[in-house]
Amino acid sequence: MDSHIRKVYVPMTETGFYILLCLQKPMHGYAIVQKVDSLTDGVVRIGAGTLYGSLSKMEKDGLIRFVDEQDKRKIYQITELGSDVLALEKKRIERMCRNLEEVGQ
Amino acid sequence: MKDTKVMFRFYTIPEYVKEQDFLCDQHKKGWAFRRVYFPGLYVFSRCEGEDVVYQLDYNQEGRAEKQAYLRLFEDCGWEYIQDFFGYSYFRKPAAQMQGKEEIYCDDGSRLAMIERVFKGRMIPLLVLFFLVIIPQLVLHGSGMRSANQFFFGLFSGLFFVYIVIFIQFGLQYWNMRKRLR
Repeated sequence: MDSHIRKVYVPMTETGFYILLCLQKPMHGYAIVQKVDSLTDGVVRIGAGTLYGSLSKMEKDGLIRFVDEQDKRKIYQITELGSDVLALEKKRIERMCRNLEEVGQ
Repeated sequence: MKDTKVMFRFYTIPEYVKEQDFLCDQHKKGWAFRRVYFPGLYVFSRCEGEDVVYQLDYNQEGRAEKQAYLRLFEDCGWEYIQDFFGYSYFRKPAAQMQGKEEIYCDDGSRLAMIERVFKGRMIPLLVLFFLVIIPQLVLHGSGMRSANQFFFGLFSGLFFVYIVIFIQFGLQYWNMRKRLR
């Protein structure tokens, strides 16, 4: 993983995190919006502009790849690089949760 | 009573938020936006006054693969109206939203859009400014014969318009950066 990817994606934005989380299975844009909406009970609503911009940027950076188009909807899936980035983020979140238990409340 | 009206408005490149508010305001008053024509003629049709959110997006990639781009916006409930000078116009009735909804949900992606506007619209203006307006101003300003005065006035006017646009854009960009920190 090069320094550019680290700088841009570690730590990730909330939107970026949820997009990668969803794309562990192939999915189109609107399916991501719906999935995130139900996962977070409507707290995180990804805007169409934000989503479109993130998907094209992540595709360019090689975190996800375009796999198919159905009914004019582009379907994407996470790549190996994307999985590595997601794993780093997972570790970071787990560390924060642990620290919250130890120190917080 | 007339069912169509035309209004003239001029918005500089970074003023898309003001433009959105203007269209939203008109819809609330019972005038649905139909189209905008060069150089800034906004055509409206009479409608029921309603709370409708208007949004402008700027995305060259989206315009290049329009069908997939518009499909995503339609899926999310945004009605596409038109493209105008690189901006794509969308709207969605507030009644179909839960809370306030915009096409950009975080400042990071808002800033990324402003950067796209900068690359697509401001860089050509900057080139024009330094390669045409400034040299012409110097050229016509130095002689000061009567024939030159007209051009000197013309390019002075352009010079100030450009300066205003650059300052506006700079301030907007700077504010967005500050919010992100």
